[in-house]
Amino acid sequence: MEISFSRLDEDIARFTLKDATPAFANTFRRTMIGEVPTLAIEDVMIYDNNSALFDEILSHRLGLIPIKTDLSEYVRRSECSCGGEGCSSCQAIFTLSVEGPCMVHSGDLIPADPKATTVSTDIPVVKLGKDQKVVLEARAELNDGSEHAKWQSTLACGYKAYPVITIDDNCDACGNCVEECPRNVLKIGKKSVEIADGKLEDCSMCRLCEKACMASGIGDKPAISVKPDTERFIFVVESDGSLPVKDIMTSAFGIIKNKADSLVDVLNEISGAI
Amino acid sequence: MAGYKCARCKQKVEIDLNVRCPYCGHRILFKERGAGIKHLKAR
Amino acid sequence: MIPVRCFTCGKVISTEYEEYKKRVEAGEDIREIMSDLGLERYCCRRMLLSHKEIIDDLNPYQ
Repeated sequence: MEISFSRLDEDIARFTLKDATPAFANTFRRTMIGEVPTLAIEDVMIYDNNSALFDEILSHRLGLIPIKTDLSEYVRRSECSCGGEGCSSCQAIFTLSVEGPCMVHSGDLIPADPKATTVSTDIPVVKLGKDQKVVLEARAELNDGSEHAKWQSTLACGYKAYPVITIDDNCDACGNCVEECPRNVLKIGKKSVEIADGKLEDCSMCRLCEKACMASGIGDKPAISVKPDTERFIFVVESDGSLPVKDIMTSAFGIIKNKADSLVDVLNEISGAI
Repeated sequence: MAGYKCARCKQKVEIDLNVRCPYCGHRILFKERGAGIKHLKAR
Repeated sequence: MIPVRCFTCGKVISTEYEEYKKRVEAGEDIREIMSDLGLERYCCRRMLLSHKEIIDDLNPYQ
């Protein structure tokens, strides 16, 4: 298996996964979305709130704020040595105390742990009028996206099979397919139609080119054919900022490995028992 | 029982028989927030 | 209040709202503002496009 990046930033990555099965590509996608843990506010204790928003709406908005996560510092509450009571290694505490008139931003949440800060300081939480006040304490926990979308580390996370475009020798370079392609993947070459430089990965495999070729009266079979490669996949992974994309990918691989190992252990146990 | 506050004159009001501010006669009252801490799940 | 994240993909879009509003009032082209603010997908774009801010109307009533 091989990964080659065409783009790798802090919060977006585009890469091709080579020599993998469709099952593995989907496992990888699902793990990144649903199994990679991040911090998100889970418990809110409201001391005072006379803003126009209900306490429930306010705490829901707080829950959606992404928080920078250091996976080596935090563990899930259920797996913590404190036994789920709540300690500094399974929860991050924030306090917020603002008096109006003003806009309350996510930057007004004061973290107890200076490392676990909000990704952005200017997410509007609530607008306060004169004499309005919000005082609360929020506790962030580590959990994963399969529990609630607020713990989901990725935004747009998906893949498609790598397109394979083959152009036969009987192509007469009529250009019908070039015109029909909605993503401008093709161009007219000297003797036949060719793939435009660096455009192959843009192909959505809509097969309009095949139809256009047939319509031009070339015969029983189109001279151009588009097929998905079942061993190569183009991935796009976008992070919400709580973890860098690279960390999401590496920890997703770690999770897959652990799950596969535990499956082997269980199978060994069962076969040993017989 | 939680107290109420008059929407016009902002004075504290107790409701017994009529929903009406005894100080200014206004009929719109706000319920005051309880003193306790409210625990919520952020979901 | 503008929703914190896009309903569909989960991207944090509320951070861009204030600038978006300012630039719309200045008469800029909405399509260009959105592309400028990094709102690529149409799910995120509709979040800003279809939002109506009513917090200022609610505020007098606590």
